[in-house]
Amino acid sequence: MRYFIWGLFWIGVYLGLALFPCLILLYGTMPGGYGFWWDFSMALGFAATSMMALMFFLTARFKRAALPFGVDIIYYFHKHISLLFFLFAAAHAVILLSTEPVVWEMLRPSQINRYMAAGIVSFVLLGLIVFSSLWRKQLQIHYDNWRLIHAFLAVAAFILALVHIEGVGYYIATPAKRIIWGTIMGCWLLLLLYVRIIKPVALLSRPYKVRKIIPEKGNAYTLVIVPEQHQCIDFLPGQFVWLSMYHSPLSMKEHPFSISSAPEQKGELHFTIKELGDFTRRIKDTPKGQPVYIDGPYGAFTIDRHPSEHGYVFIAGGIGIAPIRSMLGSLAARGDSRTHILFFGGSTLEKLTFYEELNALKERLDLKTVYLLEHPPWDWQGESGFLDTGILKRHLPSHLKELKYFICGPVPMVQLAEKELHKIGVPLHHLHSELFDFV
Amino acid sequence: MRLLLAKILVVVTGVMILAVALVFAIFQNS
Repeated sequence: MRYFIWGLFWIGVYLGLALFPCLILLYGTMPGGYGFWWDFSMALGFAATSMMALMFFLTARFKRAALPFGVDIIYYFHKHISLLFFLFAAAHAVILLSTEPVVWEMLRPSQINRYMAAGIVSFVLLGLIVFSSLWRKQLQIHYDNWRLIHAFLAVAAFILALVHIEGVGYYIATPAKRIIWGTIMGCWLLLLLYVRIIKPVALLSRPYKVRKIIPEKGNAYTLVIVPEQHQCIDFLPGQFVWLSMYHSPLSMKEHPFSISSAPEQKGELHFTIKELGDFTRRIKDTPKGQPVYIDGPYGAFTIDRHPSEHGYVFIAGGIGIAPIRSMLGSLAARGDSRTHILFFGGSTLEKLTFYEELNALKERLDLKTVYLLEHPPWDWQGESGFLDTGILKRHLPSHLKELKYFICGPVPMVQLAEKELHKIGVPLHHLHSELFDFV
Repeated sequence: MRLLLAKILVVVTGVMILAVALVFAIFQNS
């Protein structure tokens, strides 16, 4: 309930900040109207700029604001809301161009001034951001390069939008509005400074180093890091961090990884990482002592937010087992006596990361494991294929509606699991998931 | 479910901003 109320509070803050510039326009003396469509278009332009500024707020990873939702959902929201504000910015331009011939005059090469040009370039940059983000994989843009381009374009588009508004100046002409608008712009620029400079610099003062790399089944490696002359972060089992390795945090080349060790394992952090891309392919060759910087912990995917349940059901696909290993390890370390169930899907038995460790864990924890293989051997006695209601009903107890479910893996697998669990009557608020490919 | 809530919030934000923009345009021209 506490998280629900905080969630509502932060949604209110977001809506308030998004609408604030528009509400300021309504305050005090207003200049004469230029007609409904002109003013409607201007309000959309202000709203789009305000939402653009809030993109930096959304991705600033303020722990208090992220806690009720989980950072994965905030990034998901960021992706979708950016489409909306791009539409508002486009509507601002289209309405003006289609209803006001004077705007065409202002855009003629001989007539155009710096603030109109700033507005046009800002809009073009926004288009590039949306295009490169939605089709990054198809365009084969490397993730690290894309992040740099994304950040550079976003900052440039935002500053140019501010130049555009300041230059037009029509609705912010009174002294009071200039002060308020100036304060808003100042706050946005400070936020930008915090996200891009202050926070990464702070991470430099808390370095970690690689202690060892452990090869695991399923083309994965466990990276073990230890803090250098400072306390290790406190985290809840199942949470994740943003990890910078081979580069300074200022370079923005960081990647989100779940912590796969339990918090009870003091003084070190484990990350179990599958070889999937350029960064992850380098993990196995990382030398001992390599500096690492971490920003976190983040994430709402943890049993510790639901401590007094009848028991937990974990559903993992592939390397989605990493945060679940952290939670199971934590339950075992605490001597938990409840019954828990793990559904773990993978292509073959040989590729199930932590297979032996999970089986060994049954000595210390009342854990039932159900392995689902896409390509089972001919003599396989267990389950195969994808999770469905039949498999769930065979292994879940009769009080299945009272249990809490933690699902982690690729998005289609998470969505399938949620759908199948809902079909057998599990309430939606009992389902907790972590999206792996949210960036 | 969380994805659905995020989508609902996107729609709610959009509707509220459109509403304020409409109110502004109506006030300006009334």
